[in-house]
Amino acid sequence: MDPIRRSLLGQLARLSAGAAMVPLSSVASAGINQKPPRREGDPSKRYGMLIDLRQCIGCQACTVSCHIENAAPLGSFRTTVSQYEVAHQETGEVATFMLPRLCNHCENPACVPVCPVEATYQRQDGIVVVDSDRCVGCAYCVNACPYDARFINERTQTADKCTFCAHRLEAGLLPACVESCVGGARIIGDMRDPDSRISRMIAEHQDELMVLQPEKNTLPQVFYLGMDERFVTRPDAEPVALDVLDPHGKEMGYEFGH
Amino acid sequence: MNSAIELLAPRYDIAWYPWAVQYFFMIALSYASLWLAAPALVFGKSSWLPTARLALLACLTTTLVAPVALLADLHQPLRFWHFYAYANGHSWMSVGSLILPLYVMGVIMLSWLAWRPALQANRRAPGLKGLLARWLSLGEAPTPRALLVLVGLATLALSTGIMLYTGAEVAIVKARPLWHTVWLPPMFVATGFIAAAGLILLLNRMAGERSTSVVGQMLKVMLGACLAAGLIAGSWFLDGINANVGSVAAALESVRGSPEWRNTALWGGLAGVALFGAVLYLLTRPAARRPALYAWAWVLGLVALHVGWMFRWVVLMDVQTVARHSAGFHHYGIPAGSSGILGIVGTFGLWLAAILLIDLFVPWRQARQGGRAADVAPAPASAASPDHAPEGAPHHG
Repeated sequence: MDPIRRSLLGQLARLSAGAAMVPLSSVASAGINQKPPRREGDPSKRYGMLIDLRQCIGCQACTVSCHIENAAPLGSFRTTVSQYEVAHQETGEVATFMLPRLCNHCENPACVPVCPVEATYQRQDGIVVVDSDRCVGCAYCVNACPYDARFINERTQTADKCTFCAHRLEAGLLPACVESCVGGARIIGDMRDPDSRISRMIAEHQDELMVLQPEKNTLPQVFYLGMDERFVTRPDAEPVALDVLDPHGKEMGYEFGH
Repeated sequence: MNSAIELLAPRYDIAWYPWAVQYFFMIALSYASLWLAAPALVFGKSSWLPTARLALLACLTTTLVAPVALLADLHQPLRFWHFYAYANGHSWMSVGSLILPLYVMGVIMLSWLAWRPALQANRRAPGLKGLLARWLSLGEAPTPRALLVLVGLATLALSTGIMLYTGAEVAIVKARPLWHTVWLPPMFVATGFIAAAGLILLLNRMAGERSTSVVGQMLKVMLGACLAAGLIAGSWFLDGINANVGSVAAALESVRGSPEWRNTALWGGLAGVALFGAVLYLLTRPAARRPALYAWAWVLGLVALHVGWMFRWVVLMDVQTVARHSAGFHHYGIPAGSSGILGIVGTFGLWLAAILLIDLFVPWRQARQGGRAADVAPAPASAASPDHAPEGAPHHG
């Protein structure tokens, strides 16, 4: 479309009656959607994770160990590794791309301000957690997270998510996913400590690191090294996992679409 | 990057169930019908009294049922008191949880005040009806008109809070680009008015009122609401193609990528345009032909209810099936149980029960802007209006 027509259409849109709503919405999102203050946790620390995709082999050891450690119900994941088959655009050569996903413990989390009862909150060390005794299960946070990092735990009927295994960190242990990672791809640590391994790696690879969906302005604190920028936003890929149902409509497994 | 195939990704379930659709539908009917009851009950326009009587019945019943659906959408409904014990002013949902009870109380109060003179007139009626009238009317003192106006104005103010919070609650969610647009809240309101006008057309027929003045007024409201909805949808779209707004881009991507979304978009567009066309046709007929044509306006009422409900279903349910951070669309089949079909049917059943109970025991047809029992005509008060069907006692069908 040529620029003149575009701007004309834009003017038309602005002229229309409802345009008066625009300033109202900006006031609302500025005033109400602020984040409640952080509480608990060690204010001298800021935990973050760096995932070195060059080391990830897609073995799902992290998925399994997280499941065992945190007892998530079957089918719900606090962390998992998505896998994509990517063909080289010129040579047609096929490679597999692995994308480990977990809560990004964002600096500006979308899930925290929406919680109507402050059951989900950010600790002073940056870890976003849920108080499952307070959570009413409204699932607003599940919808507000752009990373699909949250789910309603069918057993507790409350919101559930990755906590960076805060209970293990407090005991001086590594999170289950980090501990079990075969290639050592997941590095967790205190980013306020300049000598920590994560701080050194962030300094070393400053220009190569990417985060997921940066345009959402959530400031994720899980950094990917060796990332393909086409996977930073929602991947434009063909979904092929189709359900295979038995004659009674029960799920038997998956098959590919072609 | 069509050369990529997603081999492995979890299936993400939807987080808000059809209960949410029921709540958004009911509460929209509630606030819109309150505004349709307001011209007569709050601002004293007597030509709107027949409409106001039907609208008040619609408003009170939907207001009573809506919070039930909302509560059911919580995974921990018994913890609802946490909303008040740990209120978080940063969250629109929390703001809503404070407005909603006040609004519900306002509507109950307004209905009581409007129905009280007729209840007082029924105090000597035999049986259960008289007993309830004696209980509910709380004495024989006249109902001050000013009090009704005051409660009405306060409830109207609270209803704008409901419009704002239900819209903003959804529209601020950046994670779902289709929701994240300033045009969504006004569209909820516009489709709410379409549906409420439709409901009043339907009640006008079902309750046997068959008032042509109600039909004429509601068709005009529907025409205005359809125009507003069209303008809002058009502005949203023009804004989007002009400035590459995420919401429009996501909509186009969904329509391109999925036959279901193509069908939905086509159906929604056609239903809206057909409704607008039919309303315009009815309103522009010569006066002599109107009574015969207006007798069928309840069919448009059904279409309008369908438009209002479907809009909420598409926005709240279908949008949740658009994958956020993986490829394609998630499958969602409506379950049969209480989080699915049973919940939808149950909400409507509860609503029908509320309407029937009120119809049985409350003289809603004689609602008026306060006053004394003696002001209430013994026959249906609307018998005075020339366009009222000439049957004597309230009559259904």
